[in-house]
Amino acid sequence: MMANVRPMLRPPRFEAGVLGWAHANLFNSWHNSVLSVVVGAVLLLALWFGLRWAILTADWSVIATVGGRFVIGSYNSDQACAGNNCFWRPQVSLLMVTMLLGMGWGMAGGGVTKRIAIIVGVVIALFAFLPYSFERMGMDVRLLLLANVPAIGAGWALARYTRFGTVKWIVIFSVAAFLLTIILLRGIAGIPGLQPVAVQHWGGLTLNLILAVAGITLSLPIGIALALGRRSHLPVVKTLCVVFIEVFRGVPLITLLFMSQHLVPLALPQTFPRDSLLSAAVVITMFSAAYMAENIRGGLQALHPGQEEAARALGLSGWQTTLRISLPQVIRSVIPAIVGQFIGLFKDTSLVYIIGMVDITEIGRTFILGNPEFRISTKEVFIFIALAFWVFTYGMSYVSRKIEGHLGVGQR
Amino acid sequence: MTNGENAAGPEDIIVCRDVHKWYGSFHALKGVSTTVKRGQVVVIIGPSGSGKSTFIRTLNRLEHHQRGDIVVDGIELTDDVRNIDAIRRDVGMVFQSFNLFPHLTVMGNITLAPMKVKKLPAREAEEIAVQLLERVGIQDQADKYPAQLSGGQQQRAAIARALAMQPNIMLFDEPTSALDPEMIKEVLEVMRELAASFMTILAVSHELGFAREVADRIVMFDEGEIVEDLPPNDFFDNPRHERVKRFLSQIL
Repeated sequence: MMANVRPMLRPPRFEAGVLGWAHANLFNSWHNSVLSVVVGAVLLLALWFGLRWAILTADWSVIATVGGRFVIGSYNSDQACAGNNCFWRPQVSLLMVTMLLGMGWGMAGGGVTKRIAIIVGVVIALFAFLPYSFERMGMDVRLLLLANVPAIGAGWALARYTRFGTVKWIVIFSVAAFLLTIILLRGIAGIPGLQPVAVQHWGGLTLNLILAVAGITLSLPIGIALALGRRSHLPVVKTLCVVFIEVFRGVPLITLLFMSQHLVPLALPQTFPRDSLLSAAVVITMFSAAYMAENIRGGLQALHPGQEEAARALGLSGWQTTLRISLPQVIRSVIPAIVGQFIGLFKDTSLVYIIGMVDITEIGRTFILGNPEFRISTKEVFIFIALAFWVFTYGMSYVSRKIEGHLGVGQR
Repeated sequence: MTNGENAAGPEDIIVCRDVHKWYGSFHALKGVSTTVKRGQVVVIIGPSGSGKSTFIRTLNRLEHHQRGDIVVDGIELTDDVRNIDAIRRDVGMVFQSFNLFPHLTVMGNITLAPMKVKKLPAREAEEIAVQLLERVGIQDQADKYPAQLSGGQQQRAAIARALAMQPNIMLFDEPTSALDPEMIKEVLEVMRELAASFMTILAVSHELGFAREVADRIVMFDEGEIVEDLPPNDFFDNPRHERVKRFLSQIL
């Protein structure tokens, strides 16, 4: 009746399209228009000078000169790996990582894992074809880099066509790959080609990544345990957790790292080798776990009490309620905070330079200090390092957004 | 009809004797004694803060009482964890705010407790769930998440979740207070059907039409005490206490 007669109304002209957007957001009043023009001009100028410098003035050859040291530090130097080429060892570790990526893609069948696996494969293959050649980067290095492409494919096929394509197996393989990496990098005395390489020679991005992976995978479960412990009704458990959290949160990471050199060995048997990498990893993990615990606790407090009541009323035990009802909801709701914590942890791994470990930032610094003729290239070196960090942190934030979207199905 | 006298017999599924509950210094339950027979439907009313919700929450020990005895289906409620677990398996509860688990589908909500508490195999638990969803009239919503359902559908799913443990007693804590009128109707319909199936029901509710039609007894709480306990007709037509008359005149 009436509804049939009423004509369809078009949206007002300025509310759709690019022009509409610009009008609504940038030029909706005279002072906003002035602001938009000024800010736009500044941005354009900055972009112009930035690009002109990056393309015309900057001399990026310094990156190739530092080369593999960005990735593995002095691991392949004569002091670390006398008379041999040890570059293949971190490279085999990389192969395991890319294979796991391929498995993730094969299991998920597409989506984020597929995109990441393809990007990583392409980037690594591009490195293999770089026209530069740096310290000891021969054909073997290039071939091993290139092997990452079939490794991704092999992982994909493994997940696709065998029974290993489940989360459980990928987790098992990941843990195995991490342990193998440590063994491989450390070396085994007496086996030719695997001579031990002292931990102080581990460095570069590999060092940052080892510390970050260990810290991230361990700080989440420890943080959850601490958060639950802090809410426990048992006074001893509660007090221990509160003390742990407040101590590790209350002391700067740098101080903790200094202390770790002396305190962590005290907690280990005398015969245990003193290992700066291990103590650094322990301290970074504990530091991060203390913050993680508070993130999780915040999520636990925001959980509607009716959730636990309903679970208990159904007869679920306290543990079942925590594991199946509370934690899944809590972790989902604090993913942004957890990922923020992970990103912070990854960047903080740079601080190990304070105890004499040579991470990627320290590589850049010592390279320039040791080679005064490259002083002029300081900008290029640190922009490259910043970019290297950013690629990984952006990757984490990208994956977390995808996970949030995926878990958000049917959620309010 | 027994009106909360203390003669416990084999028919009595819930027996409360002189139950007291304090929150700090606030005396929430002041010596509640009552008995519910198997298959009875008891509607509990009363002004807010009168202790009616607290009372039914003591029956599955979501709240613990500090004095007096509660015996549910032959099991005395004490701090013994085994007793509490046994009673919770036997007593289903439906909440005002549904409290469905938002990270699980409707099917997941219903099958969780049978699988984890009763250790039923998944297939068996799912069969039970399908039957229950049909019974509450939302069989086509099994794979949705709670947030995708209307309030009335959520509350019906919550009822199905409680029934999946095959309880002998159902507690309803203001099950329709958070719902729009047309959704209240569909939830009451399910409760009506439950009552007709000889389930023992204790419901805190202000749906007086429902109470008049379905209840065997209406119990009124005020200031932590039971002030009236009568069959619906007597309750509405000849209330014995001034407080009941005043309360009825306020909400009718």
